[in-house]
Amino acid sequence: MAGRWRPELGLAVVVLALGVLVVIGTLDVSAAASQLGLGPRFFPMLVGGAMVLIGLFYVVDVLRGGHGDPEESEDVDVDAPADWRGVGLVSGIFLAFAALLNVLGWIIGASLLFFGLSVVLGAEHKLRAAVVSVVMGLATYLLFVEVLGVTLPAGPLAGVI
Amino acid sequence: MESLQLLLDGFAAALTPVNLMYALVGVTLGTLVGVLPGIGPAMTVALLLPITFTVPPASAFIMFAGIYYGGMYGGSTTSILLNTPGESASMITALEGNKMARRGRAAQALATAAIGSFVAGSIATALLVVAAPAVVSFAIAFGPEDYFALAVMAFTAVSSVLSRSVVRGLASLGLGLVIGLVGIDQQTGQARLTLGIPQLLDGIDVVIVAVGLFALGEALYVASRLRHAPPEVVPVGRAWMGRADWRRSWAPWLRGTALGFPFGALPGGGAEIPTFLSYAAERRLARGTAREEFGKGAIEGVAGPEAANNASAAGTLVPLLTLGLPTSATAAIMLAAFQQYGLQPGPQLFDHNPALVWGMIASLFIGNTMLLVLNLPLAPLWARVLRVPRPYLYAGIVLFAALGVYALNGTVVDLFVLYVLGLLGYAMRRFGLPVAPAVIGMILGPMAEIQLRRALAIGAGDVTVLVKSPVAVVLLVLSLLALLMPLFRKLSARRKPPARSTSEQESR
Repeated sequence: MAGRWRPELGLAVVVLALGVLVVIGTLDVSAAASQLGLGPRFFPMLVGGAMVLIGLFYVVDVLRGGHGDPEESEDVDVDAPADWRGVGLVSGIFLAFAALLNVLGWIIGASLLFFGLSVVLGAEHKLRAAVVSVVMGLATYLLFVEVLGVTLPAGPLAGVI
Repeated sequence: MESLQLLLDGFAAALTPVNLMYALVGVTLGTLVGVLPGIGPAMTVALLLPITFTVPPASAFIMFAGIYYGGMYGGSTTSILLNTPGESASMITALEGNKMARRGRAAQALATAAIGSFVAGSIATALLVVAAPAVVSFAIAFGPEDYFALAVMAFTAVSSVLSRSVVRGLASLGLGLVIGLVGIDQQTGQARLTLGIPQLLDGIDVVIVAVGLFALGEALYVASRLRHAPPEVVPVGRAWMGRADWRRSWAPWLRGTALGFPFGALPGGGAEIPTFLSYAAERRLARGTAREEFGKGAIEGVAGPEAANNASAAGTLVPLLTLGLPTSATAAIMLAAFQQYGLQPGPQLFDHNPALVWGMIASLFIGNTMLLVLNLPLAPLWARVLRVPRPYLYAGIVLFAALGVYALNGTVVDLFVLYVLGLLGYAMRRFGLPVAPAVIGMILGPMAEIQLRRALAIGAGDVTVLVKSPVAVVLLVLSLLALLMPLFRKLSARRKPPARSTSEQESR
């Protein structure tokens, strides 16, 4: 048994915990109206129970040294160490965008989102990235709101565009 | 030859200017997302699901089918011209295709891929025309217990085949099933697993799940280990090939089609296994110069797997249309699209909506022809698309993901749900959990539950009703085998001396 901490253990524990949560959460569901056949509890219990079982197997597998292969993809260097700064920054930018979208409106919010992400992901020419970002924000707003009739928040630019 | 008449009617429906336009939009979009790394047909169809509110079903499915086929074409361009290995289905093409490109034969590699895809797609769609009515007439007598058994088989097959480790495949499936449980129980109106949040009463939308797992998950994953060297794209002109290339390509095309179609139709078959088998077969069958060229860029190694790839896409449509059984992530999303129209794929669909089904099948022939035209002369254009700077590409993917999800209900709550699912998608990629079982579990899970409850209601609580029909018994036995197979493999491997110890794995 490998005694050291493995990050994959986190995911395995999430699977296990989710199974437990499903079982506990289903206990609240009232079992009324189930004279014929199965009530609304049966299937979630089945899934929850299976998840607990799978979670246990998964935890044991990770503890015994098993591991999955990181997915291969064109732009991913599988052998590179995880860049937590990148993940954190992308997360932060996205969450800030979600929180501020209704205040900033789509055009400003989406432009900032695009600019932030492209810089974090390695865009070297900041000015060009800024121009592309504004164009993207504006173009998506015009295309989706004016042409396709999708509702997006206008924000402070409401009267201008 | 009733289906021939129906197919002709289908052509009449698909050849209207409006539907031709949807087909063209579909195949263009499909090729684009197939060429671009980081997004694929599954996520594109998911992002376009909201348009199903405004477009008639026939047009929407003509477009979705175009995206599905187009994605297969586009993927080959990427694996031939780009120096980095992509996802597993196109990695096989890259083996010989990229080597051909580096030896200055990129145009021929792209041509055999495109023409092979056309040939395979056309033959496989014709096979679909023949196979679908046969499956329908067989499946018309299926009871709820058979459909439940089918769902169970899809679950187990997709979980055990797509992942090297069954436990990881099943974990992914379970995550999908749990997501599918959230919301109001359709039969009793009870709220389940909503955690008291009113927005969750309607369940978590398929679009959010698919976009979160695919788009945001991929963006976070790329952010964590971005390849810093700029992509090296082999320059190419118009795709063409000479007489010798034709002579060497036609047989691999046909063999690839023969492998791809049945595997696509099987639950858990997918595109990976037939492309690999096709490559192995071509390598073994190669004689003379071809034999020497294998490993250095043999055209057979591109022609066969690319044909298998496209044939499997057509094969996937057989169980999807005739049984409502998705065998790939894209098929699962298309099933969700059917549900949004209140349509349930299966034998009844052929009865009640023949115009829709046959219009879609006819559009596959049309789309395939469009793709050939789009891919041969326009190869240099797609090659240029491959050079999109990666920071902009992934920023754009996240932007469109946010747009699609926000536009669903116009609330930022969905964006936070999207982020959580994106994190899940990231973790699944990082630790090698396949994403497809989660998507299939989420969409097929609620249907499996309905069929299970229906079957047990008919049986008045008697559990043996589930194994009453021979079809259900066979399917359940096959599911069990799918789960146990890796175990057998492990046991037989243990008897032999271990090739590689498990303790050498480094902690990453």
